[in-house]
Formats: sequence, C-alpha cells, structure tokens
Amino acid sequence: MKKLLCIIFMITLLAAPALRGENGDTPESGEEGAGSPFNQSKFVPDISLILDASYVYRNTRDGEYEKLHTPAITLVPAEEERHGHEEPFLRNGFNFNYAEITFYSIVDPYLELFAVCHLAEEHFGLEEAYFTTRSLPFGFQLRAGKFLSGFGRLNEQHAHYWDFADQTLVHNAFFGEEGLGEVGARLTWVAPTDFYLMLGGEALQGCNTRSFGNEKILHVDGSTVEDGSNGPNLGVGYMKMSFDIGELTVLAGASGAFGKARINHGLDRAGKSGTAFTGSTYILGGDITLKYQLDSLRFISLQAEYLYRSMEGDMFRNDALDAMTRTEAQKRQSGLYAQLVGKFSRRWRCGARYDLLQMNRVEESGVEAELPENMPRYSGMLEYNPTEFSRFRVQYNFDASRYGTETGAYEKKTNHEVIVQANLAIGAHGAHSF
Amino acid sequence: MKKTLLIALALLVWAPSLFANKLKVVTTYPYIASIASQIGGDRIKVDFLARGDYDPHTIIPKPSFIARLRKADLLIINGAQMEIGWLPPLLRQSANPAVNPGNPGFLDLSHSVKLIDVPKSVSREQGDIHPDGNPHYYLDPYNIPPIARSILAKLSALDSHNAAYYRSRHDEFARIWGAKSAEWERKFASLKGKRVIEYHKNFDYILRRHGIILAGTIEPLPGIPPTSKHIEKLEGTIAAGRISLILQDVYNADDAARHLSKKFGIPMVKLPHDVGAVPPAEGIISLFDEIVRRLGQ
Repeated sequence: MKKLLCIIFMITLLAAPALRGENGDTPESGEEGAGSPFNQSKFVPDISLILDASYVYRNTRDGEYEKLHTPAITLVPAEEERHGHEEPFLRNGFNFNYAEITFYSIVDPYLELFAVCHLAEEHFGLEEAYFTTRSLPFGFQLRAGKFLSGFGRLNEQHAHYWDFADQTLVHNAFFGEEGLGEVGARLTWVAPTDFYLMLGGEALQGCNTRSFGNEKILHVDGSTVEDGSNGPNLGVGYMKMSFDIGELTVLAGASGAFGKARINHGLDRAGKSGTAFTGSTYILGGDITLKYQLDSLRFISLQAEYLYRSMEGDMFRNDALDAMTRTEAQKRQSGLYAQLVGKFSRRWRCGARYDLLQMNRVEESGVEAELPENMPRYSGMLEYNPTEFSRFRVQYNFDASRYGTETGAYEKKTNHEVIVQANLAIGAHGAHSF
Repeated sequence: MKKTLLIALALLVWAPSLFANKLKVVTTYPYIASIASQIGGDRIKVDFLARGDYDPHTIIPKPSFIARLRKADLLIINGAQMEIGWLPPLLRQSANPAVNPGNPGFLDLSHSVKLIDVPKSVSREQGDIHPDGNPHYYLDPYNIPPIARSILAKLSALDSHNAAYYRSRHDEFARIWGAKSAEWERKFASLKGKRVIEYHKNFDYILRRHGIILAGTIEPLPGIPPTSKHIEKLEGTIAAGRISLILQDVYNADDAARHLSKKFGIPMVKLPHDVGAVPPAEGIISLFDEIVRRLGQ
C-alpha cells in the first residue's frame, strides 16, 4: 500500500509543476492536479498485475489430447461439446495462460476489500471480489462476496502461488479448473490458544458445476426434472491447526463440503443425447504441510492433501429420440496429491509431486460400472526466481490419468509433458500467507 | 456431550484471561523485544516473531505467529517496509483489531527516527528498494533512545497503572545507554575516515554517524545476489582505494566476501544485525558491544 502510494505521490509531485505550466493558474485546471483540495490520488488501492505464460511440449497432438478424459470424473469430450464449454488445456507451443489484476484496500475502519480479475485473451472473469471485516471482536472475521473457499490447503491459493504449473488432478476433478470459488459468506474464528487453531464455516450458493450446481434442470418437453435452488446450496466447514517444533512447522486441516448436486449436460437439448445428475454431494478433505527451515534462505516442505467425494441421487438420460430414463446412481471417488518442495538458495527451488485419482466407483441401479481406478501423474519441477516478482519454471509431467474411448473401451494414453512457465508480478502485490 | 463441549469451549476462551494482568507485547524482531523488556520489566510479557539470525526481509509467515498476534495487546514493528513481505497477511488472519495500524495497540518505530537514503524515485529496476528510506535505522546507538521513548509512551498509554514503573525503568535504561554510547563512540573514533565494503546496506546508519565511508556493496542491488560482473567491478574499487574492512551479515552467503577478503588480504567481519544473530548478542546492549568488539578486532 505504502509503496504504491509513494509512487503515486511522486508522480503527482512531478506532474504538478508541468500541469501548472501548461494550463496556467486557472482554478479549473488546478482542481484535478495534486494541489487540489479535492485530490484523492492518495486513496488509490493497491493494484497489481500478474502475467502467466508458458511453452508446452506434449507427445500427444492437441487434437488427440482434446479427446482424452478421466472416466466418470472428467467428462467425455462429446458431452462437454454439447454442453457448450470445453475444458481449456495447455496446447503444444506457446500459451498465454492468464493475466490477473488484483485490487486491495481498506474500505473504512470496519472493512477491507479485495478483488481479483482473471483475464484470458478473450474473456474477463471475476475470480474473487469480497469484503472482510477488520473490527469484529473475539477473533471472529466475516467475509462475503465471491471468494475461493477455505476448503483444504490448495483451493484458496491463487494459481501464481502454486508450487507447480498446473492444478492437481483431484482438485480439477472435484472442483473444476477454477477451484471451489463461490458467492456466499464465511465466518472464521481464531482461537486464543498458544498454537494456531482456526475454525471456519461458509454458506455458499453452490454453483460449482463439477460437484454441486444450483440451476434448474429441464427436460426437452419443458417439464422440470429438478428445481433450481432457492438460496444457498452448499455448506463448507473446516478446522486448521498449526504449531512449531523447533524449525519445523506443522499445519494440518480437515474440511467438509455438503451440498445438493444439479449437474446438467444437455438434458434439455432436443434430438441429441444428454445426461443430468441430481442428488446430494459431500466432499471430505484432510491436509498436512510440514515445512522445515534449514536456515534463513533454505527450506524443505512436504505438503499432502486427500479428498473423498460421495454423490448419491438420480441419473437422467435423454437419447436422440428424446426418450428420458431415470436411474438411481451413486459415485464414490477419491484422490490425493503429495508434493515435496525444496528451496536451496535465494533463487532456486525444485520439487516433485505425486498426483493420484484413486477410488472411482460408480453404481447405477445397483450395478457397478467397470471403470479404471488409481490413475496417477508424476511431476518434477525446477524454478529460478530472479526476484520475488519474477519466476521461471520448468516442469515435467508423466501423466497416466487420461483415457481415450476410440475403440469403445477405455484405453489408457500416457502423456509426457514439458512446461516452461513464466510468472511475473508488477505493482503493489500483497505478501502471501504461509 | 454437548455440555462438556460447551464447558471446554468456555474454558478455552476464558482461561487466557486469568493471566491478563500483564500487558502482552508482540514485536516483529528480537531487538524490539529486548528494548521493550528493558522498559516493561516484569509488568509486561514480551514475545518476538522473527529469528534474529534470519534475513529480516524474508521471514516465513508461520501460522503460529497468527496465534501470537491473536492474543497480543500491543504489536511493535520496525516499519519502513521491512515487514512488508511477511507481516500483513499474518496481521489480517490474526483477527485482532486491537493491534492493527491506526489502533492504540500498534506501534511503528520507524516514525520515531529520521530515515536516511529516502529514494527520490522508486522502481523495482533498483532491486528490492525501500521507498521510505533505509529501514535498518536501529543499528545506530543514537537511534535507540527515541525508540525507547516511543515504547515508553505507548506502554504508559496502554497501561497507565504502571506508568511510573515504566518511566523509572526507561530512565535507568537511558542512563546506561548514554554511558554505553560514549564508550562505543570512543571505539568508533579509530575507524573514522576508513573505507569499507558491505554486503547489504545494513550498517549505513552506524557508518555514516562515525564518518566511515561505504565504498561499495557486495550485492549489486538490494536483495539481488552478487554476480561475477559486479564482483569484478568491486575488485576494481578495492584495487583502486584502500579498503579496511569487508562487512558481512550472518544470513547471506559469505563466499563473495571470503573471496575478496582472501584475494586482497582485507579482513572480513561478520556483524550481527539483530539480537540473537550471534550468541553473544543476547540483548540490545550486548548487540552493540558485539558489533563494536568485532569491528575493533
């Protein structure tokens, strides 16, 4: 904040004589200048821009890769196409991943506001925009707006803070590319204990299309399959605790998300097959981080997270002749990641990550589908950080989590990926938490 | 079950208030804690966050710090943006409005002294630059008394019952400090006019105060590790002018300083930058004793 204010102050100081010189001493022109009694430039919030771009080599051609998916977890490409949104992925060659603009400022003595705009080449998205209280007593804090849920460890972190270039398989599977970011409210409480203990609860609209959803689902004939939610659809609760043993920091958390599922993949499109799922979903998660500081500049950190998802309800299918069937369906899925990251000098970091989609049990009318389980991905990365504002990373992925269905059966397709990533930040960007 | 839980929760909330008679002071760095306890004595409970032997700019924001800030009555910081890279998220997450900037339980010590090297313009082209000026102002014995006065004023305002106690402890500390400063001053006199090389601009206040000339820094820009090109340039400087000492901190890699020291036969001195940076520097007085002792060797 101070840094930015200082810059703006300098600019206004420098610009003021120039303005006066050009416009003379007319009061009208002075009104906009630094000398104006109504000048508000000192109240400009902290603004920063983050840029993320990468070069990718993958042994699979883009067209082929597009058709791969993770059975019963990510969707078959045909279904996505019908639903009108394609999962974006890193293409071979140059990728402009995103630019992110962040705004932060204290609103008044009681509130502060934070917003992140996510800019892709052709679209603008509001990733987060929320206010947080700064004056509630007894360790309470209230947040409302659109924000990333505090579920688990990785979900709340922005992509530029991740230790690897891509999202973990399990977060992508259960929450989608943007993570669990929802409109709602959160209450957290920090306990007055000697170690860190935090409890949080969130009431969210629950529009996440991977596990929840709050939109009405219609059939082709206009009849209602499932009503839209009339209020918050998702509840999230978590507990986090942390303590130090010498130079070792332990952070552990347990989280749960409970909501109603309304997932629609083109059930209402006439003359085409489509599916929808309605029912209830819960996701449970456990996370642990162990960070050992070797000295002032070096550390080694182990971070792992496990997620389990259960979905129970009804599966609706619409065929090409618009005949709809309804079956009882149950999904039980789980996944995890574990990553080891070391910072060995002021500028260099390296790490390894193990990603796994583990359990994958889907039952319809009591019949269990034959689906692949234990789908892994192995990653290694090396990072060069010239300063805290720039980062260059090389990452290798051995990805055995994707399948093709060209022959009718699930056919594993192993992908080798090399990602060279650049991530830069300018402006007044706030420090990151642990 | 519910009843037990409620009782447990009530105990958890209520128990700390049993020990509430002492003012709980949290400081970012150990040197502040040392000055605060000189004044506060046994009437306050002082705790610091960052380790004294670590780089003060890049402290890992451990969640356990949040727990300590959560319970603090007073937070004292160095300021001048030294904590900007690690403290703000901790303070936000601690959900303790009392110790936030603008509230009585917050004290920024940089406001009690005059900072040097305030840049005319700032750009990150210049490295990890501090727009408010050099933040290592406390490494000058003459800046300690105004710091102590600010802490005295703050403690007395928050805990007026003990104001007289704080005043007498402060006056005693000021007296000792005055005598110590005179002693250090005499030792510094022999260094006047000498030219030194420094790794990071940690000791500029003390150098400037005593007329010691800074001929160059081992890091090319603040926060940027030395490059071979920069070291080459520095070697030129050393070859051209008589350099008496190479000052190195305890947390940065000292290979460049060692190399220069060996090549030109100039002694390298590792100076503590904070209380706890080296074992003999266990308090604010012994910190300066140790700096002066190491410089005099």
